[in-house]
Amino acid sequence: MTLLSNSTCAPCGPRALGALLLGLLALAPAAHAGNGKLAIKAGRVITMAGADITNGVITIEDGRITGVGADSKAPWDADVLDHPELVAFPGFVEAHSIRGMDRPNENVPVAPFLDVRDSIDPISFFFEDCLRSGILTINIQQGPACVIGGQGMVVKPFGLTIEQMLVRSHSGLKVVAAPRPGRSRATQAQELRKAFLELRQYLDKLVQDKKDGKDYARREALFQGKDLEKEENKKGRAQEGNASWKIDGLEMIPRGEIDDQKEPLLRLVEGKIPAFFYCDSAMSVRLALEVARANGFFANTVLVLEGDAWKAADVIAESGLPCVLSPNLMYVERDPLTGKETETFVPKVFADKKIRFALQSVNAGPQSLWFQAAQCVAHGIERKAALESVTKTAAEVLRLGKRVGTLEAGKDGNVVLLSGDPLSVTSTVQYVVLDGRLVYDRSKDVRMKHLMSGVEQANSTPGGAMENSHPHDEGPEAEGEKPKKDKGEKDEKEEKKDPEPKKD
Amino acid sequence: MFTILIASGLLAAAPERPLAIHADKARLADGKVLEDAWVVIEDGKISSVRSGGEAPEDSAVLRHTGWISSGLVALHAYAGTPRAELRDTTRTMLPEARIAWALDPARPEVADCLREGITSLLVTPARQSLVGGAGAVLKTAGGTIVSREAQLSLGFAAMSYVSNRYPTSFQAGLAELERLLEKPSGLLEKAKEGELPVLFEVSERSDVMRALAFAKQQELRGALSGAEWTGELAKSVKESGLSVVLPPIGLGEERRALRAVLSLAQEGVPFGFGLDAPLSHPASLRLAAALCVREGLAADQAWRALSSEAARIAGVEAQLGALAEGQQADVVLWSGDPLELTSSVQAVYVDGRRAYTAEGR
Amino acid sequence: MKTQWLLLSLVATASLARAGDDERKAWTILAEKIYTSTGRVIEKGMVQVNNGKIAQVTPSVEEGGAATELKVYAVTAGLIDASARLGVSLTSVEQSTEVQPHRRVAQAVDIFAPEFERVLAGGVTTVLVNPPDSNVIGGLGVALKTAGGDTLESRTVRADVALRGAIGSQPSGGNRPAFGRATDFFNRRPTTRMGVEWEWRKAFWDAAQVERDESKRFPGIERMQEALAGKLTVSIQAWTTQDIRTAVFLKEEMEREKLGSPRLVIDAAAEAWKEPQLLVRSKTGVVLPPFPALGRTGDGAFMAWNTAQLLHEKGVVVALSAHGAADLDERLAAQAGYAMRGGLSFEAALAAVTIHPARLFGLEERVGSLEVGKDADLVLWNGEPFEPTSRPIGVIVDGVLRVDPRPAPVD
Repeated sequence: MTLLSNSTCAPCGPRALGALLLGLLALAPAAHAGNGKLAIKAGRVITMAGADITNGVITIEDGRITGVGADSKAPWDADVLDHPELVAFPGFVEAHSIRGMDRPNENVPVAPFLDVRDSIDPISFFFEDCLRSGILTINIQQGPACVIGGQGMVVKPFGLTIEQMLVRSHSGLKVVAAPRPGRSRATQAQELRKAFLELRQYLDKLVQDKKDGKDYARREALFQGKDLEKEENKKGRAQEGNASWKIDGLEMIPRGEIDDQKEPLLRLVEGKIPAFFYCDSAMSVRLALEVARANGFFANTVLVLEGDAWKAADVIAESGLPCVLSPNLMYVERDPLTGKETETFVPKVFADKKIRFALQSVNAGPQSLWFQAAQCVAHGIERKAALESVTKTAAEVLRLGKRVGTLEAGKDGNVVLLSGDPLSVTSTVQYVVLDGRLVYDRSKDVRMKHLMSGVEQANSTPGGAMENSHPHDEGPEAEGEKPKKDKGEKDEKEEKKDPEPKKD
Repeated sequence: MFTILIASGLLAAAPERPLAIHADKARLADGKVLEDAWVVIEDGKISSVRSGGEAPEDSAVLRHTGWISSGLVALHAYAGTPRAELRDTTRTMLPEARIAWALDPARPEVADCLREGITSLLVTPARQSLVGGAGAVLKTAGGTIVSREAQLSLGFAAMSYVSNRYPTSFQAGLAELERLLEKPSGLLEKAKEGELPVLFEVSERSDVMRALAFAKQQELRGALSGAEWTGELAKSVKESGLSVVLPPIGLGEERRALRAVLSLAQEGVPFGFGLDAPLSHPASLRLAAALCVREGLAADQAWRALSSEAARIAGVEAQLGALAEGQQADVVLWSGDPLELTSSVQAVYVDGRRAYTAEGR
Repeated sequence: MKTQWLLLSLVATASLARAGDDERKAWTILAEKIYTSTGRVIEKGMVQVNNGKIAQVTPSVEEGGAATELKVYAVTAGLIDASARLGVSLTSVEQSTEVQPHRRVAQAVDIFAPEFERVLAGGVTTVLVNPPDSNVIGGLGVALKTAGGDTLESRTVRADVALRGAIGSQPSGGNRPAFGRATDFFNRRPTTRMGVEWEWRKAFWDAAQVERDESKRFPGIERMQEALAGKLTVSIQAWTTQDIRTAVFLKEEMEREKLGSPRLVIDAAAEAWKEPQLLVRSKTGVVLPPFPALGRTGDGAFMAWNTAQLLHEKGVVVALSAHGAADLDERLAAQAGYAMRGGLSFEAALAAVTIHPARLFGLEERVGSLEVGKDADLVLWNGEPFEPTSRPIGVIVDGVLRVDPRPAPVD
């Protein structure tokens, strides 16, 4: 419970950081005693794996769900969260996001060696907002201003370090079919093909050098400090996977001698890591499928769509690949002849063609995944399919289908307790349990209180200092009233005079 | 043989005898085609137009293989004035300004128009003024100004307003116009009386709506200029009695503009083609007509828009725009039907004098 | 081209009215829920539209299957955006001087702007359009329908609904002190908030004195007199607490000095939640701006999400606005949902986008509720209104079906 022990250090930190830490602490009320057993009782349990359960119980032990049902029995010494007025729901899953990092884009066009873990900022407000919206699993990827980006990472929105937040590292490489800013489609397509071509040429040269007796690669690897005696580095093996090209003799090269800059790309080609292929238009979908097929990672590709890429839905359906849809759900076109605008609700196109899709959110405030799913229902998509696109299907797209996305025994102990139906505008996230620990209590969320009802000025009567003043007191503040403060931080700190309940 | 005449005013000496021109076909004012046409020019005017028969005695005879028509009348042109002179930027309302004082018929773009068969230009003040002043009708050869007060230009588009000079808003602009017309004098008075047609410079549909409402309120007559959207409001335009001066229509023009022309034609709104020369090439006048015909406009209606209807909008229909007795002798000899783009200008007569001859003729 | 149209017609989930329907002004709408905005809710009822007006609102249902019958889940009155900011631009406000009470924005509105159609598709049938707030006093606003004929008259619900102006930093924003070159009329006061307030006070005081002192006359002063007398509603944009105070104190000063009793509505009153008692005691109506995702909104104001609920509880008449936005998460129907998220009840949220804006601006005889005799402006929903799981699938304006809820015919 590293987070709790931080509470004693908080006042020591720098002011801004202190406020943020306090804010974070506000999200983490008494996490219960550490025997790792928790039972959640809710008036309605939406499992996303069958019918809803009335008055259901979810039992969690050691961070895993051990049972879900109306008659699920909790161990006698389990902590109990008893809320018959609330609705239990699996955490929302954000299948693709470029937020939460220092900067989403890098200047290097082909950089498969980068990793978002070096750029994720655990105290970013993005993660706080995810938590209070009930988004518990987030796939962070590099932005689309590149040709081949770095490795992504699936995180949970809680923790002060990357390690604490980790759900799965190396969740997939970002590959981009859309032209980078300032480039044309043709250039992007060629750079994409060239990246793989250069990989081939590099590997061919490695093999050739080895045959010629040159040991440059080995010396370079040693110079870089690689331990060539480690098991995974020592041996070479033949190229795996079903790319349209093969390097003969690759088994001659110890894996450790392959340049770190190129190695992730080789693993991609060998079908060992997923790819998140970003397409901004129907044209780029075609390019993406071609490149993925030629270079062996077609089966592991998830398409991330933007713009009018939905127009290639037939091609996507044929390919069988899953998609992550743009947060912009409504696509608007203007007819050049009549000037009339046509709107297309993009998820419906995919639902109708039975393509598996997950949604993205514009996760600032209310326009979160629940809102996107609700809009799907409004536009004619079945409620089940809409909810799945932000839970179960999104988890499967991330290959985490066994861990998150539904409330079933064996899955991670992630539960969101809502004040009502997850798709209703008046429902709010009241509690969040992550890996079996209560990590969010809305009643103690200071920032949320501030957002919902403003900040009461200290020493003032409810409704403001002007309550009893005579109408004659106009213009500058009446005597006795405190000067106006900067709204926000300062008041938040004053609110914090009552610290969170100390941990047992 | 015939030297190529440069339109700096050098013309062959006026023939003393009447000139009878015979052409295979003639385009008449109403758009109809006359076969075996004889057009007789005398003293700068057309004295007769008929089909068949012989030339009058003692007339010079010119036999032309091809077509003959009246000269084209181009509305809304800027040719003939230096660009900077079109608009006074110090004030946006100049009710007594007359573009006639800024005309320079020797400018090369005027001759360019002549070479494309355009014999008269309605030169208008720039669109950006709230009250631009009076436009004028200029012959493209000989420098004659047929009408010094052809139309009064009023600006109804957003470009008439700038944010750092009064008025900055439509409301205030309309209020100013109402004030000027309340106790009008000079040109404004003529416009209010209905003697001087008004040219309403518009751009968006809402501009057209405002112009129609204003014209109705003030009982003004005239034409709308500059909107492709008039087509969608064709019924309202018809009710108002205003005509339309179409903006230049070029290749690749939005189909919407072409459809607008058809809507106007269907509703019976009179219209003419605008040129915006030298911003557009003079050949675009016939191009516009040809594109409209291709889109479905009746050929005779397209022809009227180039000639007689345009002359009427410019207020000079008594003298120009028709191949008819009594009209000024502005005729063009074409190699074929002027509505066909493959036809070219062979010779142009202005006021009965040969003003231009094509090379190789 | 044809296949493209076919595809679009298949995927488009609501089509605009088909040719031939536009002229009909008689409809029968059968709905599970009829929310009338009068407090009355009818389950399984019928709304009859005849000749562009509401003819009947009743619980009895005679399903006949006629071609003019529309069967939907819910019906509400057409939504009213109390501060739409559509179809206007810098050419819609006369900036040559700061006080222009007589200018009518109606003459400058572009009723053909595509934004009107977009908000119409979101269920908004009436919008309040004001001159942009570059001026201290910009002129007279207008209430327009979002669909109708090709003339201003055909769209006008009510002309000159309010005298519009602003208090805050926007009106002084473009002005500069007259140092250096004085090239245009923006070298003038006010350059600060106190200058803005001074202009307002001067305009009111001059209007009060002009009968005795002719030198105080300025163009539009008659409108100021009407405003003072309470005959012309005054709509002032004031985002922050200090600006709201200034507006209310100005009104109270006029009353105290017995110069008049202006009827005040504050637009974009984002910080009204801070001192609601000011609004209660002065009987000031409020139009709220769109709910900001993270609290901060225009002019640096902070808007709490429970603002609508707080004010409503205290008896302040609250209307919502979307500032003309049409996107799914920003449109007026979404704003009503956000107000509910902030604690406002559904009935109050419905009122805030129908009958309250109608009452604030004197439109209640024609629009704002489903009552017999009012204009047939209706929104047809496929679920509970304002929930993001439902949306407007049909919109009727003045009895004409503008957005058709019926599935498009497949060729």
